[in-house]
Amino acid sequence: VNVLIIVFTEMRDKLRKWREDNHRNSEQIVDVGEELINEHASKLGDDIWIIYEQVMIAALDCSRDDLAWTCLQELKKQFPGSQRVKRLAGMRLEALEKYEDASKQYDSILQDDPTNTAARKRKISILKAQGKSAEAIRELNEYLEQFVGDQEAWHELSELYINEHDYGKAAFCLEELMMTNPHNHLYCEQYAEVKYTQGGLENLELSRKYFAQALKLNNGNMRALFGLYMSASHIAASPKVNATVKKANVKYAAWATNQINRAYQVTKTNQLPVEELLLRSS
Amino acid sequence: MDEPELLLDSNIRLWVVLPIVFITFLVGVIRHYVSILLQSDKKLTLEQVSDSQVLIRSRILRENGKYIPKQSFLMRKFYFNNQEDGFLKNTKRKVVPPSPMTDPSMLTDMMKGNVTNVLPMILIGGWINWTFSGFVTTKVPFPLTLRFKPMLQQGIELLSLDASWVSSASWYFLNVFGLRSMYSLILGQDNGADQSRIMQEQMSGAAIAMPADTNKAFKAEWEALELTDHQWALEGVEEELMSRELDLDGMFSKELPTGIF
Repeated sequence: VNVLIIVFTEMRDKLRKWREDNHRNSEQIVDVGEELINEHASKLGDDIWIIYEQVMIAALDCSRDDLAWTCLQELKKQFPGSQRVKRLAGMRLEALEKYEDASKQYDSILQDDPTNTAARKRKISILKAQGKSAEAIRELNEYLEQFVGDQEAWHELSELYINEHDYGKAAFCLEELMMTNPHNHLYCEQYAEVKYTQGGLENLELSRKYFAQALKLNNGNMRALFGLYMSASHIAASPKVNATVKKANVKYAAWATNQINRAYQVTKTNQLPVEELLLRSS
Repeated sequence: MDEPELLLDSNIRLWVVLPIVFITFLVGVIRHYVSILLQSDKKLTLEQVSDSQVLIRSRILRENGKYIPKQSFLMRKFYFNNQEDGFLKNTKRKVVPPSPMTDPSMLTDMMKGNVTNVLPMILIGGWINWTFSGFVTTKVPFPLTLRFKPMLQQGIELLSLDASWVSSASWYFLNVFGLRSMYSLILGQDNGADQSRIMQEQMSGAAIAMPADTNKAFKAEWEALELTDHQWALEGVEEELMSRELDLDGMFSKELPTGIF
């Protein structure tokens, strides 16, 4: 019996960790969560409600409509009239592709509480799911006019713009993110990539600088290292630059090459097991 | 040389000191739950939420603007501060100053705060003073001047008694403040029984009750932003980066996760 109790606490703690870190490993969550709900419901106490929510969203991801429905019913029983539960009901409708009904559901939430950001964002993702990217972009812009501080939304908007090849506006969104998270090397790197894609001497210089910043924030960012090399070589190869700039960029590119070689030197020793396996299987 | 130490009846310890601790603690817990029940929902309007976020964005622009290119910074500064149509310059919100007299919800909030916190304290303090009077309860470990005598030794009229010996009422007050950390342990942070925090909040309450001051806040942001210049943090980033080799330790770890095989 002791072993079972240990297993139960482990499962519950794992779910909590995934919840706090915002992992999206839906299959694992469904496995662990389903067992937890079915076997150990009594031991969970009040934790069970938030686990229901977590498992329901994961179930929607895995097309487990039955499980999602059970979770939703339990939550509805416990919290009738709750906006959070209404949003979950809307998400289920979305998963079933009943977009009209889902939209109506979210509208009713917004009638009660115009400041509810979750409902607005779900409406925008409905547009995205239907492939109406232009409308989604427009709605997201309106949303961001009201809620300038929503970083998730800025990131989503930058993705949408990149898909539409509107790199200038995507860069604007990423700038917002860089300002609010100055130590996040990934935003610097994405911004540098967008600038690189935009092209043109000025943008290439900017991209080189931001690749360097990303590397400074995280020495292990290989993508930024490659990006640094490519932007520096491109600038050096461009006919419009003067000699000093060319020399500086050649130096940067050489340094980057050096570092890349160093990084892959380390792995040469690690590749042996893989090579052996490949040899054995052939 | 001190006067000889007083030896207190151990009954005092059992029937006075401990009960006062329990009473204070239980009253605190009850206060916490009552304040939860009486909490009124603060509904924020869309405009208020939006404005507060705009202010945050402007502040972030001032503080972290050096991480984005100069052009982008200037573009945003222009958007906020432009003479003709800058957001901070031109947006005027309808201002309703929430003085306690005119705004009914503020009034009820204040009253509720007073009822839940100050009233019980006064009542119970008085009751304890009346019940447990006439004797000395405990001794504070540090010496006090005679000035404290009338305050701390309510009900004991002894001229020669050291001011360190205090009455039950002072022990009660000591408990009220001392049990704060116990409340945090048991009720979690931000609990309604935490009186001193509430009193602190009332002092700085003016700073928090800000909705009316959106216009003033905008003006302050405008001024602050005007003064901000752009010092690009990335001026010498390549040189800084290349001054030393990259730290590639632990990049490709020796044990490959063999999940697939």
